[in-house]
Amino acid sequence: MELRIRLLLSRDDWYHQRGYWVLASALRDAGIEVVLGGIQTPEEIVQTAIQEDVDIIGYRIMDAAPKILIPILFDTMKAEEIANMPVVVGGIIPQADEVVIKEIGVKAVFHPFNTLEMIVERIKTIVLESRRQRDRSERSISD
Amino acid sequence: MFKDELIHELKEIQERYEQEVRQVLSKIPEAEQEHMTFSGIPVKLLYSPRDLAGIDFLEDISFPGQFPYTRGVFPAGYLTRGLHIRQVTGLGTAEETNARWKFLLSQGANALSVVPDDGSGHRADSDDKRVRGLVGKGGVALDTLYDYETLFDGIDMLKYPVHLITTNAFALACYLAIAETRAIDFKELRGSMSNWMRPEIECLDILEYCARNVPLFNGGYLDMRNVREGGCTVVQEIGFGVAVAMAGCDALIERGLDIDDFLHRITWFVNSGPEFFEEVAKFRAMRKTWARIFRERYGAKDPKSLMCRMHCQTYAPTLTLQQPFNNLIRSTIYAMAAVLGGVQSLHVNSFDEAFAIPTEFSASLSVRTQQIIDLETGITNVIDPLGGAFYVEWLTSKLEAEAIKLIDTVQSKGGGFKAWDWMCSEIRKAAVKNQKEFDNGIKKLVGVNTLVEDHDTQLRALNVLKEYADFDALYEYSSDVADKQIRRLNKVRRERDTEKLDRAKKELRTILAAEQNMIPPLVEAVKCGLTRGEFAQIKSEVYNLPGEGPYVCSPPFVLA
Repeated sequence: MELRIRLLLSRDDWYHQRGYWVLASALRDAGIEVVLGGIQTPEEIVQTAIQEDVDIIGYRIMDAAPKILIPILFDTMKAEEIANMPVVVGGIIPQADEVVIKEIGVKAVFHPFNTLEMIVERIKTIVLESRRQRDRSERSISD
Repeated sequence: MFKDELIHELKEIQERYEQEVRQVLSKIPEAEQEHMTFSGIPVKLLYSPRDLAGIDFLEDISFPGQFPYTRGVFPAGYLTRGLHIRQVTGLGTAEETNARWKFLLSQGANALSVVPDDGSGHRADSDDKRVRGLVGKGGVALDTLYDYETLFDGIDMLKYPVHLITTNAFALACYLAIAETRAIDFKELRGSMSNWMRPEIECLDILEYCARNVPLFNGGYLDMRNVREGGCTVVQEIGFGVAVAMAGCDALIERGLDIDDFLHRITWFVNSGPEFFEEVAKFRAMRKTWARIFRERYGAKDPKSLMCRMHCQTYAPTLTLQQPFNNLIRSTIYAMAAVLGGVQSLHVNSFDEAFAIPTEFSASLSVRTQQIIDLETGITNVIDPLGGAFYVEWLTSKLEAEAIKLIDTVQSKGGGFKAWDWMCSEIRKAAVKNQKEFDNGIKKLVGVNTLVEDHDTQLRALNVLKEYADFDALYEYSSDVADKQIRRLNKVRRERDTEKLDRAKKELRTILAAEQNMIPPLVEAVKCGLTRGEFAQIKSEVYNLPGEGPYVCSPPFVLA
């Protein structure tokens, strides 16, 4: 069965959007529906993710501090009851920050020159995995 | 450039040579006979006088300081006007950036630039929820005139031309307010700002105000460097840049200015990337295209108007986290192309710029790179030393011809401002193509898609340095910066005279609503303690910008 995926692609700020657009184009070519969030605060990202009923959030962080934004994002997701929605991050993420945000729950961190193919495959795997988990937990609730 | 007889005589000899090459190469099946440049221009293995058949020395190349300025805008090249070593600076609070400026000057930098943390469109105050995580991170936090005063503390504004990396009139207002306090005559005040040509009142107000009142300040800017970072080709870098400049000129002429009043105050911000000769040819073609377009199509007469002057920052998308010290080598080669191409001012990316804000250590290496090129290699002693090379001249002409074709396409779509969206989509297409070429290994990047090291020695060396050096070897952002900045901001808010500020705000609103030039009342308002967020808020209200609040910068084309 064709895996239907809706992804919200948001970013921290304005400058240097090359990766954002290149990735949006690659994801669309791979059959993933991309909702372009543009520049959004973590709260706005969560609102859009709910309204657009996406499967996964892709967050480009380049200028901002991931260690500040990611905790806000995850707290808001929890408050809005979408804590299980997978989040992937791409951009300029210092190595030390990568460790921290993965501990918070970020599923994958992409860096410059990760190939588009690799990123697309990884996103598909993450969504598939999250659906399996959701199905499992729904089954266990109905049991 | 060459007599017909020579071209004719060469025909047979060259064909014999090419036949020989084909034979040699036929024995090496993997050898590709045709290459593409980084921007996708097919190049041959060899160039000769036969490729320069249509080129006339005096008309197309000529002498430095003479139309069409292919060989440079100054008659004596770098001898009369040395290279400006100008590193992008902007980190933490104004104190930290001021200290970095002073450090860079102590290392021999001779020009300054500052990038505020709102350079990317956020124009909110540092305590606004929309800029969490951004305060003093991608640039320096500058909320009020007080911050600008701290930034310029001990900096001689007449000696060191400062470039403000922002489109925000607020920054210019603070710059002017400081000059006023120091009793500097605006007629002597130099400097420049990244006021990209765009269809926005703010942009045109800055240009108009400077043209009339601060005649040595470069108020207009073609930020094609960041368009290249966005993925465009060198032809687009020239062509879209000129097309956007043309649209800006049309708008200013409509405001009653003469082309020669302001054209010489529009400068270029350009890139210098991996394909060495393509870059050298690009700088040459850019100057030629600029001079020709504005003389032929706009009737500009002042030679200064026709001189395309450039600040260059080396290409960053090919800088890598992998084997990070290789970035020193890359940036040095890119910088050499820029100097051989005759740019006026240069920033060489630091080796850590792919993954961090440069430290004093890495930034000083960037300054040293330029000094070594300038002082040790002899490159700056001869003007346009690659001029006359068959390949360089052919490529210069080729790039100019392609750029003019592109300018005409943009014009047929309504000009640089109206064709904005089309240009963006073209740039994005080029960026996707470029990325795929790296993904497929068609374009090589050492440490990434070729010569990959499993145990990256260079990265390990950097980590050792970070651990044991008695200086900062790798920059790390601390959220203390934001706390400190918010305290400063609140202090200004507490201490300013609110009555005076309210009057200044009211005046600013009136002028904005009447569509008169916003700079004079803005200068008065910043002196009363207006913050950047308040300025943005006033603009949003007056212009009735839909629900955007302080994000008032229009989608800049540079961001492609």
